[in-house]
This record gives sequence, structure tokens and C-alpha cells, in this order.
Amino acid sequence: MAAAVSRETRQGAAAATFLAPATLIVLVMLMAPLLLLLRFSLNRYDRTELMIETVTGANYLRFISDPFYLGVLRTTLIVASVSTILCLLLGVPLAYRLARMQSRWKTVCMLGLVLPLFIGGTVRMVGWMILFAHGGVIDGITRLFTGHGMELMYTSTAVIAGIVSINLPFVVLTIQSTMETIDTRLEEAAGSLGAPPARMFWRIVWPLALPGTATAGILCFILAMNAYATPYLLGGPRFQMMAPLLYWEFSTNNNWPFASAMALLLMTTTLVMTACANFVIPARYRP
Amino acid sequence: MSETGFPLTRRALLAGAAASPFIAGTARAEDEQMVIATWGGDYANLLRANIDDPLVIPQHIKVVQDLGDEDPRVAKMYAQRRLPRGADDVACLQAVRAYEVEASGLLEKLDVTKVPNMAHVLPNLRTDFYAPHIYSPQVLIYNPNVIKDPPKTFTDLLDPKYKGRVGVGDVNYFYIMMAAALATSGDPTRVNTADAQALAMKLNANGLRLYPSTDAIGAGIKSGEIDVGIMWMARVVMWQNAGIPVKASFQNEGSVLYMSGMVVPKNAPNKPAAYKYLNAMLEPSAQRGFAEHMGYLPTVNDAPLTGKIGEQLAMPDPAPKLFMPDYGVLGKLQSDTSEWWKKNMQRA
Repeated sequence: MAAAVSRETRQGAAAATFLAPATLIVLVMLMAPLLLLLRFSLNRYDRTELMIETVTGANYLRFISDPFYLGVLRTTLIVASVSTILCLLLGVPLAYRLARMQSRWKTVCMLGLVLPLFIGGTVRMVGWMILFAHGGVIDGITRLFTGHGMELMYTSTAVIAGIVSINLPFVVLTIQSTMETIDTRLEEAAGSLGAPPARMFWRIVWPLALPGTATAGILCFILAMNAYATPYLLGGPRFQMMAPLLYWEFSTNNNWPFASAMALLLMTTTLVMTACANFVIPARYRP
Repeated sequence: MSETGFPLTRRALLAGAAASPFIAGTARAEDEQMVIATWGGDYANLLRANIDDPLVIPQHIKVVQDLGDEDPRVAKMYAQRRLPRGADDVACLQAVRAYEVEASGLLEKLDVTKVPNMAHVLPNLRTDFYAPHIYSPQVLIYNPNVIKDPPKTFTDLLDPKYKGRVGVGDVNYFYIMMAAALATSGDPTRVNTADAQALAMKLNANGLRLYPSTDAIGAGIKSGEIDVGIMWMARVVMWQNAGIPVKASFQNEGSVLYMSGMVVPKNAPNKPAAYKYLNAMLEPSAQRGFAEHMGYLPTVNDAPLTGKIGEQLAMPDPAPKLFMPDYGVLGKLQSDTSEWWKKNMQRA
């Protein structure tokens, strides 16, 4: 008994020894910039000195008391939420179909899904710009059939379409990997007991896929909250989201303290929303 | 001579081969290195073609380009301000940003004895910390295929016939505000007055299109999305050369001069090379090269323009009023103006 305990202790110590360096590196690489951001966010901006070291909550107060910044945060939350819902609506059926696919086309479909990830997000956005622009593909086709053009460039529709196109492969791949683990015999059993396909999906597949779906939704939401290139290129200057605004505050205005406060507020909002999403899911299905 | 008739013995050949890295190393050691922080694309290519290759490299100076946008470049200068040795020897900046970083004490006062060509710089462009490279007047632009009676003043753009047909670059917001200030008060530095802001808001209310980049304005004219706008004369020349139907109209109230140039950070690691670079940049051949390819006017008095570019950049008769804004005053207003623009013009 004592020998077994001693062996477990030794194994635990060995595991800790092996894990320690990686954990330490991750902690330092993750925490050090965050702590630096926190410190910067408490400083005061000065046009010539850049930052004056002090401890003040003025930057946070400025953000939460200015309707402009709160409006930008609200826009970001709406765009991220709508993009996440659309990604899940499109992603769940796609992932289920892929997971249950047996033919040799499955590899081709998977490749088709992964292939866009080989192209940079910014390059893909340029493709969307060609589609959406005045005189572009969509505008031209609409004008041909209706006599009126359709300008999608610099609209919220364009931004949401762009974000969905970038996030959808991540969502599908995450949900599909979960659905692959669901035993098909459970579905067959439900079918043999008389459950129609829709009922079988909602009572058997959906609850079992919920942890993976939640993870995919959270991943999509986080990516959308922090989207930079898509709102910048497809939304134009009048469409403001947090990441481009934050960068502008940092680089154009050189206001590092306020930009740091904005970065931490964006991160906190994303974390809080993610935690809330976790609570909505019944405890037994949480990832 | 060896018995085989081969002019080198094997031993001599091996010895030579062994020594060659040291010989090459000696040659490389003679070449000093300097770093120029600049925009990429055409500008960087033209620096290479008109300054680096013909004028600086023959002086045994290897030029490394640190490419990027202006904002991160300025942010980097601020971030490195406490370091004894910064990363860049020369930084390319618009005048307004140069004045801003100078006010923060980041720039070296230029030693004109080491940049003899500074003597040729036009008097109204001269300062003691900034070597002006190119400049261009801001003009009203229009599509001559659509607009037969071109706009002559800023307020002409408020005409309802231009509703939704006027475009400007969001990145040029400060210069748009200078034009509004010039139209309302005759002083381009009064960008933060209620009158200038009200005029800009009226333009916004007339369906102003804000483009994220300067190039997007040319694309807007080409696609027929807009018919008029505000831009530098240099861009008009570039777009004309690219086949875009666009012409310039000088505002009756006057034109603000856009200027871009080079500075030497206080902590530049190789200041002698930086000075040589600035001097090369002001050479007539380099100045003409930029005028011919980018449509910017030379900042020196010894680079007259001839031929097609001379005609394209010739000032109309009667000569327009050109204003070199007091960038020292404007530098202090940029932060507030950009905040106002973001909250009012973009959000409207």
C-alpha cells in the first residue's frame, strides 16, 4: 500500500517536473503582456511624454462614460453574436452531414472545408471586396436582372458575411469532431423505436453534440469579437468595431493608456459573455 | 608554373579558397549599414531606384528598408525613445507627424553642413529637423466625363447635385479639415473651430463617401461611384497616367500643401550615413525621379521639371494660392481633431 502511494507520488512529481517548464513559459508569455497592459491602462496620456506613470482609473471611466465607445462595444457584441448564430445555423447541419458521410467524397469535402484556411484572412477579404464593390460581381448581376444595383460594400451585412466566411470552417471542424464520437447505433436504436429523423436528432444527437457545439460557438464568438481586418476592409471607416478602434487609439492617437484600457475591457467583456454562454448550457452537457 | 601547365598549384588553390571568406569579409566590413523606416509599395521601390542604388550604395552604404505604415513607425519611435540606440537611422514621415514627434523631443536637429543639398530646399519648406522630400497641393478632383462645370470652392461640394457623389480618404481627415478651415477662416490651422467643423458636417450630410484608403478614391472615380472629391495633385497625375478619368481644380480659397519628408531620430545608430542619405534624397536626379513616377513636386530649387510631367504639374494661370500650413500648430491639434472626426464624421 505504502509502496503504491510512494510510486504515485513519484509519478506525480515526475509529471510536474515535465509540465513545469511549458506551464511556466505559457504563464510568462500570457501573463506578462497582460500585466503590462494593466499597468499601462492605469497611466495617464500626455501628448509629448506619451505616458505619465501614475495609478488612475480615468481611462476605464472615460470608456464607460462615453456613449461613443459604448456604442462601438454594442456594435461589436451584436456583430459577434449574429455571426456566431449564423455560423452555428450553417455549421451544425454541415458538420452532421460530414460526420455521417461514408463515401470517398468525404475527403474531398473535408479538403474543401479546410482549403480556405490556407489563404490568409486579409486576402479572402479582398475577394469579398471584389464581390461587394460598386460595379462588382453582385452589383453587376443585380443590375442586370433588376435594373438597380446592390451595394453591399461598407455595410454590416458585408462585415457579418466576411466574419462568417472566416469562422465557419473552425465551427464545422469543431462540431464535426464531436459528432464523429457519437455512436451511430444510438441513432439506429432511436429510429428502430419509431423516432422520426428530426426527433432523433433533437433527442439523441443534439444533446450529445452540445459540448462540441458550445465550444465551437465560443470559439467563433471570441474570433468575431476580436475581428480586425474584416470590419476594417469590408465595413469601411463608418463601421466601427472594437479591434480597429483600439488599434487607431494606439497607433494614430498614440494614446497607449486608453488603448490598453480598451483592450482589457474588450477581453473582459468577451470572457464574461463566454462564461454566461457556459451557464446557459445545462450542467450535464457542458464541455 | 606547374608541370601540368595549370597556372595554380593545388596548395595555392586551397590556400586561396581558405582565405577567400576573409577577403570577402574585409570587403563587407568596409560597407556600413543604415536602416530607413518607410512606406512600402511604390514609394519604397522608388527610394531604391532613385536614391539607394544610384546614389547611396556607391558610397559603400548598405541600405536596409524597414517597411510599414506611418502610425506603427511613429509608435516604434516612441517605444524606443529611452534606448541609447534605436532601430532606424532615417524615418519617413508626413510633415504633421514629424512636427508631432519633434515636439516630443525624439528628433535630431539636422546638421546642414553634413547635408549640403539642404541649401537648395525651397525656403517655405525648410526647418531644422526635417528634410522635405516631396510635396503636393491638395485640390478638388472631378471626373471630366461627368462634370462639365468643375467645383471651385469647398462649399461647391455641398451642392445637392453632388449628393452621394463626393468621396474623400478617411486617412486624409486632417487635410480635409484643413481645407474646411481654409474655406471658413482663410487659415488652414483653424481646424478645431466650430465653423470648420460645421462645414465638414454639412459635407457629411450631403452623402460624403469615406474611403479607407487613398487608392480607393481613384477606384471610386473609375467605377463611377463618385464624381468629385478632395485629393493631392500628385495622385491626380498618377491616376491620369493609369487611365482613370480625373482632373484637378484648384480651390479659389487656396490649396493646402501636403508634404512628406525624412527625419533622423536622436538615437539613430548611424547618423553619418543618415546624413548622406538625406543629401542623396535631395539630389536633383532623385527629386525628378519621384516627380516623374509619383507626381510629387521637387522640394529643391535645382530640379526643374520638363516634358510631360512638367506639363502635368504646371500651375494654372493665374497662379493658385498655396498654403504651407504651420505644422507646429497643427501637430498639437491632431489628436483632438482625429477624436472629433471619429465621433462625428465617421459615426454620422
